[in-house]
Amino acid sequence: MTYSVFKSIKVINPATSLNDVSDVVVENNKIIAIVKNFKQEDLDDKRPITSYDCSGLVMSPGIIDIRVNIGKTENLILTQKIAAENGITSMVILPNQTPKLNNPSIIDHIQRQSENSSLPKVWVYGAATKDDQSLEMCELGLMSEMGAIGFTNGNKSIKNSLVLRRVMSYAAMINRPIIQHAEDEDLSGLNQASTTSIKGEMNEGEISTRLGLIGIPSCAEVIMIERDIRLAKLTGVHYHVAHVSTRDGIDVIRKAKKDGVKISCDTAPPYFTLNETKLLSYDTAFKLSPPLRSEDDRLAVIEGIQDGTIDAIASDHRARSKDTKIQPFSAASIGASGIETLFLVTMELVNKKIISIDKAISLLTVNPANILNLEIPSLDQNKNATFIIFDENIPSKIDKNNLKMSPTPFNGRKSFGKILGTFINGQPSFIHNDLKVKAEK
Amino acid sequence: MNKFLKNNQKNKLYSPVKLSSHHLLSIEGMTKDEIQKLLDRADFFANLDRHSDTKFLPGYVVLNVFFENSTRTRVSFELAARRLGAEVINISLINSSIKKGESLLDTASTLNAMKPDLLIVRHPHSGAPLLFADYLNCSIINAGDGRHEHPTQALLDALTIKRRIGRLEDLKISICGDIANSRVARSNIHLLTTMGAEVRCVAPSTLMPSNLEKLNVKCFYDMDEGIKNSDVIMLLRLQNERMSGTENPSEREYFKFFGLDEKKLSLASPNAVIMHPGPMNRGVEIASSLADDPSRSLIKTQVEMGVAVRMSIIEALNFTKNQT
Repeated sequence: MTYSVFKSIKVINPATSLNDVSDVVVENNKIIAIVKNFKQEDLDDKRPITSYDCSGLVMSPGIIDIRVNIGKTENLILTQKIAAENGITSMVILPNQTPKLNNPSIIDHIQRQSENSSLPKVWVYGAATKDDQSLEMCELGLMSEMGAIGFTNGNKSIKNSLVLRRVMSYAAMINRPIIQHAEDEDLSGLNQASTTSIKGEMNEGEISTRLGLIGIPSCAEVIMIERDIRLAKLTGVHYHVAHVSTRDGIDVIRKAKKDGVKISCDTAPPYFTLNETKLLSYDTAFKLSPPLRSEDDRLAVIEGIQDGTIDAIASDHRARSKDTKIQPFSAASIGASGIETLFLVTMELVNKKIISIDKAISLLTVNPANILNLEIPSLDQNKNATFIIFDENIPSKIDKNNLKMSPTPFNGRKSFGKILGTFINGQPSFIHNDLKVKAEK
Repeated sequence: MNKFLKNNQKNKLYSPVKLSSHHLLSIEGMTKDEIQKLLDRADFFANLDRHSDTKFLPGYVVLNVFFENSTRTRVSFELAARRLGAEVINISLINSSIKKGESLLDTASTLNAMKPDLLIVRHPHSGAPLLFADYLNCSIINAGDGRHEHPTQALLDALTIKRRIGRLEDLKISICGDIANSRVARSNIHLLTTMGAEVRCVAPSTLMPSNLEKLNVKCFYDMDEGIKNSDVIMLLRLQNERMSGTENPSEREYFKFFGLDEKKLSLASPNAVIMHPGPMNRGVEIASSLADDPSRSLIKTQVEMGVAVRMSIIEALNFTKNQT
């Protein structure tokens, strides 16, 4: 039972539009005051106080990462720990892990297994259908009672229109969003049933032609979004498009928002920082789904972030073993690690003055909460003391050798910012040495 | 000093080309000068009595590692290496280690442990030879990787054309067939455009890759137009699995629109020559009579030139590696 005081820290709290230097006082798991010039005498009792000199640092709500693949259940706790070190205080995991999250008991199991008040909260999406191409709906209602906060087939799209219509309709009834990986898998050649020799590997265009890799046309994304919007209107569901990556896809979402459709979307750092030219050396760290697109698409993602069409940024974390990545491009696994670079690469947008820091924090915290009907994180009196502390100005460089998960598409990338502390329910889930030395008892 | 150089100082025939890399992974990225020198050297080998002493590389160990079927390319490389006095070991890994789950990297490090001087690799996946180049200490020749490149084929095609017509500059060369899936087409496009030829690609729209014009070629969907006044017609093999399906309706339809017959050939330049990397599908991409017409078809010369071209490359890679 102690107090912690974070002195002279810039508090950025999108929920109350606060961006001001204050002292933040935490008692147990709650913020009890955000005041100017805190004095010890203001407290009623004489319990020990840990005081941090935080001048020059920023406090914001913790990151809510709404797209994390953990691969296997065994990776769960490790992923939580690494997430905490990187400013993530809640994360939502996708159902395409082993075992698949397609029934209420496994949803319950994951949540019990991950329960630890000082580690990031783990939320789960339930699978929409029993298998990726299945025509059978999962027990959405029971999974939802067990805590599933949305439904999706994760890295696969829900393809069959009738099935999607029913899943959407059912999800609308129980007030849960449908999250779609928007890709026409017939067109991209990822539906093995329809093609024998063609399997999309990268964005289609000059680069795919030069490399002799099978292209996925960028319209594979918008085709799916356009159909889904019709079904979303028909069913009234909240429809969320995951990791949008194309100009056309974003344009259609922008228009649907104007038309009043209940639609939201997120993107991931690779799609606003990288383009298809990265693949020219066949580097499998860039083999992602959706694939890295053209430069024009990348610019469209940035515009979408700026004008609010894109609601959130998620890591799209999908760590892969080196064994599956040191392979010829066609044989290599798809995906890259993301939780360790989400904050840094998003801060690059701030550093390049593309968006304000307040906006960046919103994209990573309150907006994801809004999309998934989670409690809006807020740094305010009597609110839960879950927050992060970071230095927004310190130059940083991403080095794959210093990361705990692989691969990263951002090796060598320069940015600004460093997470110094992650507090969950008032407990220091992670404190960097640079912050530790600022503490005095 | 390199042991091979020492041995060869006495041999007046030894005159290797120096390249900018000790690997041959793709034509894309090679300079006009490098290509020219390799072709000149290959031309020299082609003119040489095949019993001449060209054993410049005694003790040089070549691993011919093929992850895909091949007869002519493998034999051609083997012959080239042997004529240079090298020791050649053929390793066929078709469907074997890949299916057994051994990673390519494990295969690569196993091979590396045998300390070869050169690895000649054919692999069904685009870019695979680059991976070998990253993890092995020896030189690598790409003998065909997926849909990416087949550099030695392009070099031997170029030598064949040069020897027949005398030049590459300003020639009109039509590459016809399944461009989308062809590594031969890509290597030829890069080589011929680098050397100043006008390259035209003719294919059904379903087999024409996206944005091909960006590679400085003209694209045609009508073969008559695409081969009009052409000096060289290069045909590509249509894989069996693509003869009918969603890429192409049927063999007979393909032959009607994209197969080379007398009538279409009459539109080309009067002395136009026909090339094919083999193996041919007679009656699909080419009328049988044309394939066997010695005044037109250079198909057998292509095979012959393969050995000379590969000798010049192996010699050059060894020289380059020991210079760097």
